[in-house]
Amino acid sequence: MTLRFAFPVCSPLAPFLASSLHRRLSIPSRSSSSFSPTPLFSSDHRPPLFLRPPAFAASRTDLHDFRRWAESLALAAGPRLSASDGGPDAALLRRELAWLVEDATVAAASESGVGEELRLRVELEELYRLWKARIEERRPFQYIVGCEHWRDLVLVVKEGVLIPRPETEMVVDLVAEVEGFEKGLWADLGTGSGAIAVGIGRMLQEGGRVFATDLSPVALEVARLNVERYELKDKIELRWGSWFEPLRDVEGKLMGLVSNPPYIPSSHIPGLQAEVGQHEPKLALDGGEAGMDHLLHLCEGSASALKSGGFFAFETNGDEQSEFLADLMSIKLGNFFHNIKMISDFAGIQRFVTGFRR
Amino acid sequence: MARALLRWASFTSLETSSRLPFVQLPWTLNPRATTLAFSSSNDAAAAASASNYIHLSDEQLMAQCDMDTFKASGPGGQHRNKRESAVRLSHRPTGIVAQAVEERSQHKNRAMALTRLRTLLALKVRKPIDLDGYTPPSELLQILPAKSTIRGKDVGPQIGPNNPKFALGMQALLDLIFSVEGSVSETAKILGLSTGALSRLILSDDSLRVTVNELRTSKGMRPLR
Repeated sequence: MTLRFAFPVCSPLAPFLASSLHRRLSIPSRSSSSFSPTPLFSSDHRPPLFLRPPAFAASRTDLHDFRRWAESLALAAGPRLSASDGGPDAALLRRELAWLVEDATVAAASESGVGEELRLRVELEELYRLWKARIEERRPFQYIVGCEHWRDLVLVVKEGVLIPRPETEMVVDLVAEVEGFEKGLWADLGTGSGAIAVGIGRMLQEGGRVFATDLSPVALEVARLNVERYELKDKIELRWGSWFEPLRDVEGKLMGLVSNPPYIPSSHIPGLQAEVGQHEPKLALDGGEAGMDHLLHLCEGSASALKSGGFFAFETNGDEQSEFLADLMSIKLGNFFHNIKMISDFAGIQRFVTGFRR
Repeated sequence: MARALLRWASFTSLETSSRLPFVQLPWTLNPRATTLAFSSSNDAAAAASASNYIHLSDEQLMAQCDMDTFKASGPGGQHRNKRESAVRLSHRPTGIVAQAVEERSQHKNRAMALTRLRTLLALKVRKPIDLDGYTPPSELLQILPAKSTIRGKDVGPQIGPNNPKFALGMQALLDLIFSVEGSVSETAKILGLSTGALSRLILSDDSLRVTVNELRTSKGMRPLR
């Protein structure tokens, strides 16, 4: 059975560009706000902080002075940032400061270190610069340290790739509940840092495989790092392209589809907290006018991508979007799907839509 | 572990309690639950299962809990840089609440909250003891110092407050201390220790000390220091 909307012929351009023909004809990578304002390959080729060699030293007093300075900055800025756009409050900034020091110093140095010298993974002056950028430029903490802790993973991230969110951790649990998932073919569409793919990949057994796709070359580069760090090259295959485009060869063979596609309504983008709106890639956030351009595409495309009995789980902007999609899947697309559910995240927002291919 | 709990307790009261009014230690949250005892014979089964809460596996214990994140306004998800990694576990059978905010992922905060829940269960859930024919369980023997005369050679080295198994021994020790109404000397006699040695054990863990002293104060006894 073929559906007219499955595997549309518009890629490798970002699907949201496809809606306006004249923009489709321009070069995608620089034609719009689709990429982060930071250059794709910025000066920062360096590995994340916690993976760098401890090539620098500082005295305990110096580090203590840094902490005190950084803490006073956090305490002064926190109330302002959280009030202005829902940014981090002082308590979160202080936690981030502790994590920054944790990543920048050699583990357990505080207990086992003898004498006054501490070994650092960056110069002390660099630590000052990094924290200043955190507070003054609102550069996300995760980009500063180059990683995000997600589930029990430590994932490499950098400018140009979405920082995986805590809510999304649950997608991996949803997959783990599917009978026989360990040996199936899975796809993580718009994988970004590869978070979901790595989370699933680690649970797979012989025969199990994840195809992780993304349109952003930076995302694929970062995902590759994460796949390699967790030694999952034989379980996860990274493919460049838009949504289902790179998966034509496995059409109708997939046991499961997961995705955390861009779902923020375009009109909300200017009001986002600065860490998100000014630093994270719009390509990974902007879901079009109602925020559902990509989700609709994914729901519709699932019918031909999944095999019979196949499972899907999509993250949404929450309640309204989930209700709309659940309705669509169970009524309009009810011939193809069944057992459609909305699943709440731990804040009580209906965050995910799941279901099965008939 | 119990130290981590107190660190967390002071942390929340210093930093977040003004913003998050529900961030309180459970025994201040619900004064009725200061000690959860199961006294009537009808509750014998409940008492038996209650004493076993901290013997449950992580999965079994999680199944008795409601988990949520800190309530916040707004849609969350992609809108936010790191909002929901804090975790709150509410243990349905006892009403005890354990939370964690300081870990770097939700997954880890959940594990930390579960560890804290185990400590809180050990501190707050009491099982009555029949002192006639009482023999201390092995998890209690394991936290006793080697000089205890009832501690056999086969018990192994003493387990300290930083060991996750300490909570099990602490729970059994508190059951005993509560059943002798807070008397350290009587407890010491039963455990084959000098009063001083038992006092040192109680004082070695902050949350244990606080719980014992709360009991002693309520019975009109001098707190240990």
